[in-house]
Amino acid sequence: MKKILIVDDEMDIVETLSFMLKAKGFDCVCAYDGEEGLNLAKAINPDLVILDVMMPKINGYKICRLLKFDNKYKNIPIIMITARSQDEDKLIGEETGADEYITKPFEFSEVLEKINKYLA
Amino acid sequence: MTKIFLLFNDDNAKSQVQSALLAKKDVEIMDSIGEIDDVLLQINNFMPDIILIENGYNNCEFVIRQLKSSSLNQDTQIILLLNKHESSDVLNLADGFIEYPLNENILISTIESHFKIKKSLDRLTENNKELSRSLYQLNVLYNTSSQFSGTLNTSRLYDIMIEAMEKTLSFDVSCVLILNSQGNPVFNLNTIHVPSENLIDALKIRSILNYRNALEKESSFTSFDLENIDIVQKTKQTRSSRIFGIDTISFDSLFAPIKIGDEFFGVVELFRQTPFQNEDVTCFQSIIHQVALPLRSAKLYEEISDANKKLEKLEKLKSEFVSIVSHELRTPLTPINNSLEIVLSEQAGEITPEVRNFVSMAKRNIQRLSGIIEDLLDLSRIQTGKLDFKYKTVDITPSLELLHKTFIQVANEKNISINLDIKEQLPEIYADIRRIEQIFSNLVSNAIKFTADNGKIDINVDTIYANEINLDNLVNPVVVPNGKYIRVCVSDNGIGIKKEDIPKIFDKFSQIESSLNRNKGGVGLGLTITKQLIDFHLGAIEVISEEQNGATFAVYLPFYDDLKVFEMDLSRALTNNDEVGILKIKFNSDNNLIEELKENKLLNLTKLFKELQIVCDNQTQYFAFIPKVSLSSFEALFLTLNEYCSKLSQNGCDIILSKAHSKKDGADAAKIMKILIGE
Repeated sequence: MKKILIVDDEMDIVETLSFMLKAKGFDCVCAYDGEEGLNLAKAINPDLVILDVMMPKINGYKICRLLKFDNKYKNIPIIMITARSQDEDKLIGEETGADEYITKPFEFSEVLEKINKYLA
Repeated sequence: MTKIFLLFNDDNAKSQVQSALLAKKDVEIMDSIGEIDDVLLQINNFMPDIILIENGYNNCEFVIRQLKSSSLNQDTQIILLLNKHESSDVLNLADGFIEYPLNENILISTIESHFKIKKSLDRLTENNKELSRSLYQLNVLYNTSSQFSGTLNTSRLYDIMIEAMEKTLSFDVSCVLILNSQGNPVFNLNTIHVPSENLIDALKIRSILNYRNALEKESSFTSFDLENIDIVQKTKQTRSSRIFGIDTISFDSLFAPIKIGDEFFGVVELFRQTPFQNEDVTCFQSIIHQVALPLRSAKLYEEISDANKKLEKLEKLKSEFVSIVSHELRTPLTPINNSLEIVLSEQAGEITPEVRNFVSMAKRNIQRLSGIIEDLLDLSRIQTGKLDFKYKTVDITPSLELLHKTFIQVANEKNISINLDIKEQLPEIYADIRRIEQIFSNLVSNAIKFTADNGKIDINVDTIYANEINLDNLVNPVVVPNGKYIRVCVSDNGIGIKKEDIPKIFDKFSQIESSLNRNKGGVGLGLTITKQLIDFHLGAIEVISEEQNGATFAVYLPFYDDLKVFEMDLSRALTNNDEVGILKIKFNSDNNLIEELKENKLLNLTKLFKELQIVCDNQTQYFAFIPKVSLSSFEALFLTLNEYCSKLSQNGCDIILSKAHSKKDGADAAKIMKILIGE
């Protein structure tokens, strides 16, 4: 079973997303802030990470960079969830290395399509 | 009283003259004592009206020459005494002569007439002095007035005023009491010598009283007391031992309030030991009068720029507000949307057809809401210049085909037929393909929205020469006359638009404002965004419609055949100071294109750039620009091509659009774009 890490401080988003992914046969691990997400990513070595951008403690772009510039984790596909907000705009500028972007609000089919690109 | 100085060798003659003068006239007589240098010194101190000198006096000629060449005594009348028939070289140096033997009557009348001459000369000198002083004051006033008109800075205006008074009136003390821009009282004290503490306090109180008397509205005069007044003090001769004591207040003084109409700015008072003359008063009043007008302008200017700053801030806040709200809305929308999806997928349990119907309805409306938020965000990004464009040379055919395929599905729901007809092989254009897709997606979804069931939508695509375009229906008649365009027409047979409403449909929220009984979704931002996006591509949009008779929206997108955009990246030019964009345009031999260009292309460019500087080396072309340019926000400058520009024009470009380098060589041109026109 493929293991997907979902990191978002919006619990409702995490819950609905993990519900649907589990229904599609994925194993889901959830984290609710940046720090927890980063630690979990390193601990469980997931097959794919879904990352929110604006989060407490460590923002999503930073986690993405930390993983992508680490040889041990750089091959894990990362899908960023963005709200295209002004606060997020300020964080852009450096290469994040994310594989995919999804804009809120998203369709579940959209997410599944992107996941299947990497885990099919 | 006539002051007479005597230079005699012959003591007999001297005493004769002396007694004759003393007997007949009111005179003060001084005799020469000692050597020649001492004598000259005595004359300088005595300042006689008349000098009587014997022809035989030692160094007679030397003495006369010395006196005549000195500025102190040049008007002093010198009368030579000599024997009858005696001739002398000195005679033509002197102002008059008397012959021996002495005739007392002749002596007295000669003295008298020369005394009159001396007095006339004195008056003349005095008048001359006054005249040159007035001339000087006039000069200073003239300079001051041009200085006044050169600034809108309040404190600078007061500085100029004090400086002008110092030059023209050479005051000992000046006191100016005014309110600064924060509305706090400032007491400005300028003195020649160091003032005593007592004097400062006395002058301050005096100024406050003056201010209070001059200000008609007592009520607005609230918290003026000695403690809360700032003092700005300047002393000219700080090293001199003299101190201005309290008695300085008894010097002659001039006072005036600074005001114009109802506007009151403050009070000025000058003190001078030597009394002020009439022309000083005139000069003083003139300066005070002159400063009031620019002070009022400065005040208005401050008010306007304050208001402007507030407005700018509000505008920015508004955009930020829209942006923040929109993005805050996205986050809660996400789990709502996801939950509905879960229910619909029946992963959480089976649902009845009724539940499916209502949940689907909720889902459709969530999607509509997302679309509106997206539009709001786009609009706020366009307005704040944050919408990013990625221009490149693209073929729009695949995008149009994909769009058609997507919309067939949507149109099917209303049983609307939708046809795409691309009549010829399309050339590539310079565009951001995502935005082009957004433009047509907006137009087609509008067409579907406003077309009844079983309707028909046609999308026809071809190319057209600019001179074939009918400018009458263009919303923004901005077409480069000898350019070539791709034309995309989206036509429907829907409800159409009233003729008088056509100009309004591109306004923000027009749908909300115009129709209370509307039954169509959307907030009316789609067309506003569409038009702005077309503008950013230097294109145009045309609307042809009649009420109940369908509508046709034609979009014209320029492609550059002989008119080729070269190395041009509009979005980068907008955001990056060092980018240089070049528009390559061939000119007709007779400069006609310039005439047409200013009508169209340039006005379009003004939408892209807030400030543009036009630089060209051809006068005919330059002057052809001016009328139109001055109407727009261009700043026009006639400059010859500098090295930097000529290097660019070597590429064969006729118009160069560039952002001035932000480096120091560009100085104030940092944010100014240049359009360069070469042959």
